[in-house]
Amino acid sequence: MKRRRFVQSLIAAPAVPVALVAQDSARPVPLPAAPVAPKLEAGIADDAGATITHFFTTPQLSALRKLGDIIMPPINGAPGAAEANAAEFLDFLLGQSSEDRQRLYRSGLDDLNSQAAKKFSKPFADLEVPQAEVLLAPLRAAWTYDPPADPFARFLREAKQDIRTATMNSREWVTASASVGGRRGGGVGLYWYPLD
Amino acid sequence: MPAKDYDVLIIGSGASGGMAAYNLTKKGIKCLLLDAGPLVDFEKNRGLKPVYELPYRGFGKPGKLPHLFQANEFNANQWVDEKEVPYTHDPNQPFNWVRVRMIGGKSLFWARMSFRLSDYEFKAKDHDGFGENWPISYADLAPYYDQVEPIFRVAGRKEGLAQLPDGIFVEDNSPDSTATKRFAESAKTKGITVTKIRRALGNGQFASSMNLLLPDAMATGNLTIVPNAVVRDVTVDKKTGLVNGANFLDRHSRREMHVKARVVVVGASCLESTRILLNSKIANSSGVLGHYLHDQFYMSNSVVATIPEARDGKGGRGMVGGGGYIPRFRNLDKNKPEKNFLRGYALDFSTGGTPDAKYFPQWGEELQKTLDSHRGSAFSCTLMGEVLPRFENYVRINKDVVDAWGIPVLHFQAKYSDNEFQMAKDAVETIGEVCQGAGFELLNRNDRMFPPGYSIHELGTCRMGDNPKTSVLNKWNQAHDIKNLLVVDGSSFVTGGSQNPTMTILSLSMRATDHLAEEMRAGNI
Repeated sequence: MKRRRFVQSLIAAPAVPVALVAQDSARPVPLPAAPVAPKLEAGIADDAGATITHFFTTPQLSALRKLGDIIMPPINGAPGAAEANAAEFLDFLLGQSSEDRQRLYRSGLDDLNSQAAKKFSKPFADLEVPQAEVLLAPLRAAWTYDPPADPFARFLREAKQDIRTATMNSREWVTASASVGGRRGGGVGLYWYPLD
Repeated sequence: MPAKDYDVLIIGSGASGGMAAYNLTKKGIKCLLLDAGPLVDFEKNRGLKPVYELPYRGFGKPGKLPHLFQANEFNANQWVDEKEVPYTHDPNQPFNWVRVRMIGGKSLFWARMSFRLSDYEFKAKDHDGFGENWPISYADLAPYYDQVEPIFRVAGRKEGLAQLPDGIFVEDNSPDSTATKRFAESAKTKGITVTKIRRALGNGQFASSMNLLLPDAMATGNLTIVPNAVVRDVTVDKKTGLVNGANFLDRHSRREMHVKARVVVVGASCLESTRILLNSKIANSSGVLGHYLHDQFYMSNSVVATIPEARDGKGGRGMVGGGGYIPRFRNLDKNKPEKNFLRGYALDFSTGGTPDAKYFPQWGEELQKTLDSHRGSAFSCTLMGEVLPRFENYVRINKDVVDAWGIPVLHFQAKYSDNEFQMAKDAVETIGEVCQGAGFELLNRNDRMFPPGYSIHELGTCRMGDNPKTSVLNKWNQAHDIKNLLVVDGSSFVTGGSQNPTMTILSLSMRATDHLAEEMRAGNI
């Protein structure tokens, strides 16, 4: 059997063990044709509803939304973190994450609010952008493989990465990206289904 | 139906097991091949999906594969589930054991980097006094590399280097980009050679045992493949002391089965093979089974830079693109040891692409402008260094933990030493200097390693040697203790060098099974 034929036989008859294909000299009994189901277009959950947030407190979630607006604002027609519901998605993701990561986010967002109150007498969500950016100074440090020792700086580094990913992997971003030639990231990948 | 007797039972269908099947069946030997994983159908098991359709938007399910830095939400299902087949280690000494259980094994997913070892590895002890020599030399294995490379269609450029022997290549005469030429010129001033990456082209960039070895083995009519067969242990005939088959469980139903064979060839991947032997309680009169675990430390993006002339949309074809390979250049002269470490390291690099946003201490519009400006101007390299094989780095059976089939799991005790740390420091420093010499602007240098195992090049634990008191296998990959038991994968390595090991694994398996076939024909086995 030529290599190509071998591979074709795997693709064409996945339900039949390959050893039998090669060794059974008897003519196989033809199987009845499987019914063909119509292919329906389906949406995703985000098309139909909004994430119900559980994990962050209201002040924490407001701070995260504001942080998203600053890290990932809408630029050149691409949606920002708010349009991609990045904060709401991260509320869901953090709810399933390790305790260390949950603690880092909660204390980081609380820190943002307490620093904002101390410096500007307002919650972080109500700051003007230049005021808010003062508090993001730790993000001006050069990237190192080891995360910063200071938990607040570490939170900001993780949040920057997570907000970018949650935004760029949203339907809103991918759709907008496709419309300008797909050069902004996100997109389509080769997915492996769970193996039988 | 009564159980059949096979000439040879092969455990594992990746590079080593696949080659054993390919070689033995062509010589008329009836083989049964068992693999713990399914026979995948690419059409059915894979499909294109937009990232936003994934349940976790590409982040992956938190905690699903904590040791697999390579895993993402797209490919998470191709790896062995760590909860289904767990392993243990000291919390402060993690080992990233990356596994695939499918017909074809890891050869379905490897990076196809294809290099030969040299006598700098086979006779390493003669060179610097550390460890042991292999019981074979480069000359013993060269004829097998010569046969394997054409099957896998290895592309490369001949350089005549003693530390990286040339092969039977599909000649790569593609022109180097301006950036690569400048990098190579800068490297040359430090006595460093830059060559083309040597990579298996296979068939349509797919170079697996599944498409290059097993089809030919099937065509002989001498091979039976049984997927989803999780081998628990190899069985021994108490009268003769020889192995006579294996016990296995059906992956889905957990039904226990036994299969008989005259010879058992184990090629289940380095550590799964050793796990099977340890659980079988055989082939360990030396006491070194499981020991001398090593791999190659692997540091992706160890140096990241940007090529100024390629920024702001000027990095068109010819300026950037493609990459290259730097073979080992340290400690080649045995009379002139360099630096504060033994052995050496290799690197591969690429040019083009956009540096990751994390390297820029900015956000918002400012960051986006920087990324737009740097698009297509990146240089990055991956470092791969030799890890010294040490007795104290080992795996053993942890009787207190079993996998989903009730089989005791491995416990890891392994860490890197100062030799590896010093090597990484030197590499990052040196390549950073080469980049600067080429006019590249450094964005990041990282000499911190991932945990052992990250390279997916685990080696040793069942090593070859002439002395049965210090090795498990002889120079033909036969167990010293049991002549009809062979282990043909990376576990047989004595040292690993800095070259990706797959070509050597394939060549060793071919050589071992050539000898096995001859011994069977002569009636010695």
